[in-house]
Amino acid sequence: MSVATAPTAQHTRITGLLAATVSTDHKRMGLTVGACSLFFFLLGGVFALLMRTQLAQPDMRLVSDNSYNQLFTMHGSTMIYLFVTPMAIAMAMYLIPLQIGAVGLSGARLALAGLWTWLCGGLVMQQGWFASGGAGRDGWSSYAPLSNGTNTPGVGQDLWVIGVILAAAGMTVMAACVLATVARRRAPRMSLLRMPVFTWTGLVSVLMVVGAFPILVLALVLLYIDRHGGHIYTGFTGAIDYQDLFWFFGHPVVYVMFFPYLGAAAEAIAVCSHKRWFGYTAFVVSIMAFAALSMSVWSHHMYVTGGVTNQYFAFTSTALLVPAGIEYFDAVGTLVGGSIVLRTSMLFALTFFIQFLIGGLSGIFVASPVLDYQAYGTYIVVAHFHYTLFAGSIFGFFAGVYHWFPKITGAFLRESLGKLQLALMVIGTNLTFFPMFFLGNDGMPRRISRYPTHPGWGTLNLLESIGAGIIALGVLVFLINILVSLRRRVPAGDDPWLGHTLEWATSSPPPPLNFERPLPPIRSYAPLLDLRLEELDRARERREVTSSG
Amino acid sequence: MVPALVSTRSEYDHLFSIYVPIAVGVFLLIAIVVVVTVVVFRRRPVEGAARWHENNLLEGSYALLLACVAAFLLYLTFTAEHRVDTVANRERAAVTVDVTASKWEWTFTYPAYGFAVHSGTVGRQPLVVPAGEPVRFNLTSADVIHSFWIPALRYKHDAIPGSTQVATLLFSGGVFAGQCAEFCGLRHADMIFTVHAVRPAEFVAWAHRQGTGTTP
Repeated sequence: MSVATAPTAQHTRITGLLAATVSTDHKRMGLTVGACSLFFFLLGGVFALLMRTQLAQPDMRLVSDNSYNQLFTMHGSTMIYLFVTPMAIAMAMYLIPLQIGAVGLSGARLALAGLWTWLCGGLVMQQGWFASGGAGRDGWSSYAPLSNGTNTPGVGQDLWVIGVILAAAGMTVMAACVLATVARRRAPRMSLLRMPVFTWTGLVSVLMVVGAFPILVLALVLLYIDRHGGHIYTGFTGAIDYQDLFWFFGHPVVYVMFFPYLGAAAEAIAVCSHKRWFGYTAFVVSIMAFAALSMSVWSHHMYVTGGVTNQYFAFTSTALLVPAGIEYFDAVGTLVGGSIVLRTSMLFALTFFIQFLIGGLSGIFVASPVLDYQAYGTYIVVAHFHYTLFAGSIFGFFAGVYHWFPKITGAFLRESLGKLQLALMVIGTNLTFFPMFFLGNDGMPRRISRYPTHPGWGTLNLLESIGAGIIALGVLVFLINILVSLRRRVPAGDDPWLGHTLEWATSSPPPPLNFERPLPPIRSYAPLLDLRLEELDRARERREVTSSG
Repeated sequence: MVPALVSTRSEYDHLFSIYVPIAVGVFLLIAIVVVVTVVVFRRRPVEGAARWHENNLLEGSYALLLACVAAFLLYLTFTAEHRVDTVANRERAAVTVDVTASKWEWTFTYPAYGFAVHSGTVGRQPLVVPAGEPVRFNLTSADVIHSFWIPALRYKHDAIPGSTQVATLLFSGGVFAGQCAEFCGLRHADMIFTVHAVRPAEFVAWAHRQGTGTTP
């Protein structure tokens, strides 16, 4: 009797907008966060296009200095707090319970509260546009004392502070629920070392969120108090303390914005190579090492402040190349000997690895204090982190979208449109971000609303602006692809790619409780591949028996 | 033997000439390996896909190799950093300039000569220094964080309110652009200055004229 009278929200069938608002189904919540993040991606993209228009030629004054400062602030803030990070959490929230054979998310109601807190944060931040004096305008890092009440008065910056606090708190709660799910709700026999590669990358990410995001909340609560007469971040130590606190969050978040997309690319590569991910143990150790190191590299953002021990942070930052190298080794090891199919997901995953490499190698460059004395605060840094976040993470994201879209919707995305999108995005990305290395080295600082006529700068900036337009076209093709594929559905079935992991062992889209059929036996991190190989061996044996008999 | 003066530019160029070729080489190597692998293993029969999936000895050795590369790069970096941040500041400076950054201009004070020049928001009055001799800058800020950057010297350092920090730089003769490299509010883009590095005798003559209030 008690069984019958204990329906949870997960059991109740609710649909439409209501489902998006109140459902505690991890899939609904993941999709809601994902859809909202995608909206913020488009919004942040519009800000970027406006900036690129202003910078297309020297001394343009399409927008005022004040507006430009708001645009770059809100571009960075929107992309980081409202798109790349929450999208990573959304993917983890949607996929991890499926991959570990769980029926739902631990603390699902809490996660729902986190979702709304995050979304409110995003909306509060964007409301700054309607404030007198404009939106937040001190950059996504909003250093004190520039961001205090004297230097940046006004409601817009307050809304930015409150918005980021809410967004970060909401994401912390959502991440904590994913972490608890991995800890407590794995299917029987799903040991930690049988969790899929994506789950591991997601786990490491939510671990970093839980460790680092509360520090951001703290730093910004103190900033809010400071802005309203509190005098917290004063003098030299105050300025350094803010940066220490901010980057203690700000560097781990860089890897939160990287790992799940690495995991997505890894799953796409393994499945499209028909071979399980190479070097699983080394990979798990390397991402754990990566995460541990990433909590101790933050002050490489502060080499030029004179307030930190540069050599220590140069050491930890450069050491990151070891685990990063292992990941590349594993990717290549997976390809070798495989049976490779170049689907859109695979192509995005491969370009993720190759383009991210430019971000990673330039990261080793800026990890050296002497080289950073030139690179810091210039377009070299802008090029570097856009190669990691855009040319890297976003390509990994699209690899994941093309890989899991059939699972989420039951229909394929169009391959031809996908490849067109890829081509546009590869051209656009490199045209936009590569010239920035030269501009930075030649003396162009970031965050300037105008630049003087200087040999070569006009041309390079124009190329970048054209590139940004091509990226926008690529994103447009993606949106069209989604619309077309949902309108004229090409049914995909439950397991169109010969998947390796448990999410492919249920229907597409998965039912409310994820698995209606019994789970396949879990003996490794690729249980479905195990089944397929056993089947293959049995067939081979049968053939041998018949041919010899 | 007098040790050579530390030049930020040549320290940077030296590191650059090692870091960048390694990076380009690694990029090309990995890109080629990926492309070749994909071409070779494309469209093989699914049943024929290899089943091996781990080689911890190989990966361990690879990690060791990577660690050696990291150690090599760190050795180079630490050596250069020591020279730029420590050795340079021990050199006997030919002239000291107190730099005060403020929204949105630079004030360069020459304490030995008792005068100051203001860059003005768009860099009208130049910072004049002797070429070929160490110049000591004491950096501070009157309001928010700014960053004193001379791109041609490959060097910048923050000017932070409440602190005075020292940087010793060596200029070759010529005219250089300088710029604030830390976002400092509304007119950050205009916070530029010009450096004139002139022969030492010329510098002294200029400084004396400034000190007595006559413009050059």
